[in-house]
Amino acid sequence: MSENMKSILSLLIFPGGLAVMAAGMIYEYIDRKLVARFQNRVGPRWFQPLADFIKLLAKEEVIPEGIHPVLFQWLPVVAIAGALTSALYVPMFGVEPAFHFTGDLVVTIYLLSILTLCTGLAGANVANRFSIIGATRTLTQLFSYEAPFLLALFGPAIAAGSWDIAVIEQYATSHPWLMVFQPIGFLVALIGLMGKLELPPFDAPEAETEIVSGALTEYSGRGYALFRLGRSVELVIGLTLVAAFYLGGVANPLLFLAKTLGLLLIIAALQSLFARLRIDQTVGLWWRSGAVLVLLQLLVLIALKYFGVAI
Amino acid sequence: MPETKHGDKFIVPIGPQHPALKEPGHFEFTVDGETVTGASVRLGFVHRGIEKAAEERTYIQDLYLLERICGICSHVHAMAFALGVEKLAGVTVPERAQAIRVLVAEMERIHSHLLWLGVAAHEAGFDTLFMYAWRDREKVMDLLEQLCGNRVNYSINVLGGVKEDVNDVIRDGILSAMDYLETRTVLYLKLVTTERTLIGRTRGIGIMEKQTAARLGTVGPTARASGLERDIRLEAPYAAYLQYPARIVTEQTGDLEARFIVRVKELYESFRLIRGILSTLPGGELTTKMPRRIPEGETISRVEAPRGELFYYIKSNGSDKPDRVKVRTPSINNFASVMATAVGHKLADIPMILSGIDPCFSCNDRMVSIRGSEGQQAVDWEELRLYGIEYYR
Amino acid sequence: MKIGSLIGDILKSFFKKPATILYPVERIHAPERYRGQLFWEPEKCSGCQLCVKDCPSNAIELIVLDKVNKRFVMRYDKDKCTYCAQCVASCRFACLNMNSDQWELASLRKEPFTVYYGKDEDVSFLLAERAATSHLHSTE
Ligand code: SF4
Ligand code: SF4
Repeated sequence: MSENMKSILSLLIFPGGLAVMAAGMIYEYIDRKLVARFQNRVGPRWFQPLADFIKLLAKEEVIPEGIHPVLFQWLPVVAIAGALTSALYVPMFGVEPAFHFTGDLVVTIYLLSILTLCTGLAGANVANRFSIIGATRTLTQLFSYEAPFLLALFGPAIAAGSWDIAVIEQYATSHPWLMVFQPIGFLVALIGLMGKLELPPFDAPEAETEIVSGALTEYSGRGYALFRLGRSVELVIGLTLVAAFYLGGVANPLLFLAKTLGLLLIIAALQSLFARLRIDQTVGLWWRSGAVLVLLQLLVLIALKYFGVAI
Repeated sequence: MPETKHGDKFIVPIGPQHPALKEPGHFEFTVDGETVTGASVRLGFVHRGIEKAAEERTYIQDLYLLERICGICSHVHAMAFALGVEKLAGVTVPERAQAIRVLVAEMERIHSHLLWLGVAAHEAGFDTLFMYAWRDREKVMDLLEQLCGNRVNYSINVLGGVKEDVNDVIRDGILSAMDYLETRTVLYLKLVTTERTLIGRTRGIGIMEKQTAARLGTVGPTARASGLERDIRLEAPYAAYLQYPARIVTEQTGDLEARFIVRVKELYESFRLIRGILSTLPGGELTTKMPRRIPEGETISRVEAPRGELFYYIKSNGSDKPDRVKVRTPSINNFASVMATAVGHKLADIPMILSGIDPCFSCNDRMVSIRGSEGQQAVDWEELRLYGIEYYR
Repeated sequence: MKIGSLIGDILKSFFKKPATILYPVERIHAPERYRGQLFWEPEKCSGCQLCVKDCPSNAIELIVLDKVNKRFVMRYDKDKCTYCAQCVASCRFACLNMNSDQWELASLRKEPFTVYYGKDEDVSFLLAERAATSHLHSTE
């Protein structure tokens, strides 16, 4: 098979594209089901995310007045494209990343942020007050968790001495679980992931009781479907990243499943345990404790590295 | 949605379909960033003309009409009306019937407070507590269904008594459910007083001083959370509250946390009352003979609904239909407090403050007013008719 | 101050059966006193019309065929009824009762909501008479 063919396949079918989307829906289902069970409810049936997606695609996309229509329609596409692209650099499903180069960790993290950025822009684009407030909150939240999340993922990178996700993953596989040595980093990465996905208790940007649906209030039909799918895709990618870095790598599909699902269980429990944080509380939490703690851990790591202590 | 800018102010309109409460009320909050600098409310989207309709029906039919003013505190409406009419007719209702009325009223209070706990938790984004509170509320609903035959509009009252009796099976069912609910309430009290994320959303939010609460005429748990000792069950005991006196629950801080605590603690009070009633339920008849034509006269009847004082004024002209029925529901008294306490808070706190008074929108169908260029104006029946004809032409 | 005080409960719930009842797959019995469809026994009825007068929603009508011989037919509109049981309480001869089993009364059409109670011959007599008059009206 030619090199081009292989690239296209990995881009569209596996491990990127379709496979990630399918995984996103399955993980979204599992997440919803778990939260439901924690709340003593039945929860959705297995095809619900797919059914939601198809239903939304079939619906009319209402384009509100007084907006930039091109932006309105293309932002969701860019958002999901960003999420899907980032999947190519991550060891999805326990197989080698489709592509890798030195420094792809940084690229991946920024690709993952495109979704949030697009959500924010989408909210700011329309003249709906709920959307604008939602967009402000989305972006505020982005700036609060992004730095700690980044730093938390840099911890393993420094330990492995590389900026290449594949290399870090190999390092994690061949060493004891990094979660034990860098517990703060692990926690911050996991909770940062929840902030990124706007899961409760960090769902202030889309708090339905305050601002309806936040930045996406005016979205319906296709655009909304894509944004939702993008978020599910990020859920899988984020879980894979955390598992690969902190839980001793995802060397094969079975390990991938076990570890990501384990993390999902924790995330679902955390979602059902707390009341929603106000946006100022979220910012305070991240900058006052999250960022400071990971920074401290990072400094310790660098110091240890400098003195040549094996970690 | 067009931008509404008044000067430099940014107004967030919420409603007429409130996203949080799924009920019709229109709020306008002037915000500066996330901070609220002004608030106004417009109510009355659910005007059903019940008071007028009550004049067209007989006393017996009104009982069921008035019960439908509110779906959550349906029993107290019927009870208040029945007590008033019985007073006018000068009949004494058997003790057993009065005790059963109080029993149902207290069970309804449990159901209402648990419902509120769930709603408030949902406003705070704490959906797990929401689900748990409503799951447990289901227990009381089932019991009420078992006792009265209906889940929502219990219709257990008739003029002159009650329809259904408490038998042994139902008594045991209620008692064991009370035990279960009491253990749950212990947990809820712990949760609202110690869970950090929840306290972050309630402590120090929406503080209303005792004087403010008194000045704004707040009633019910909202007033009691500000230290006002207001409870009709004690001030003017009705039905069987003389035999089974309630104890008042107050808190001094007046913030949202206090409103949580007052309502949760009132659950304990209800458990105690229900146990008391069931252990010493007086014997005797369930109903007494009631005349169909009520002697001429007027009366007031006040009861303590789950949300506060419920007030009925009934005027009889000697026929079998009332001349005038005037209802004042508790929510209308409490609304002013939302507007007064909202200013200065974050936008995110507003749904919490609003739900803190346990608002009931269907209780707020007061009158129709049109916001015109010359401010608010009241509209009378004839004008309203003409306005309606004009509007739909 | 604690954080995550619900942890015990959510873990318990996780292993417990969900509280949701999967109606209509799973059915529960309505309690004995549950107010379902209203039924009327013509034998005991005196024709006093109290139930009709007290019904808050005009859901019942007592059609008098022959007052002296106590031939009555009751028309009952399930969709108008509010299930308050006032009629049951008003009737001094206990002709009326509400059935706790028949409460799934929803229908896609309006016709099944109206039912006629009474002795068979009375009901058929009434319906025949009504059909005849409506026929008369339509031919006019
Ligand atoms: S139950 Fe109530 S509404 Fe139904 S027929 Fe009897 S009185 Fe009328
Ligand atoms: S109240 Fe009873 S006796 Fe009187 S008409 Fe109705 S069913 Fe017949």
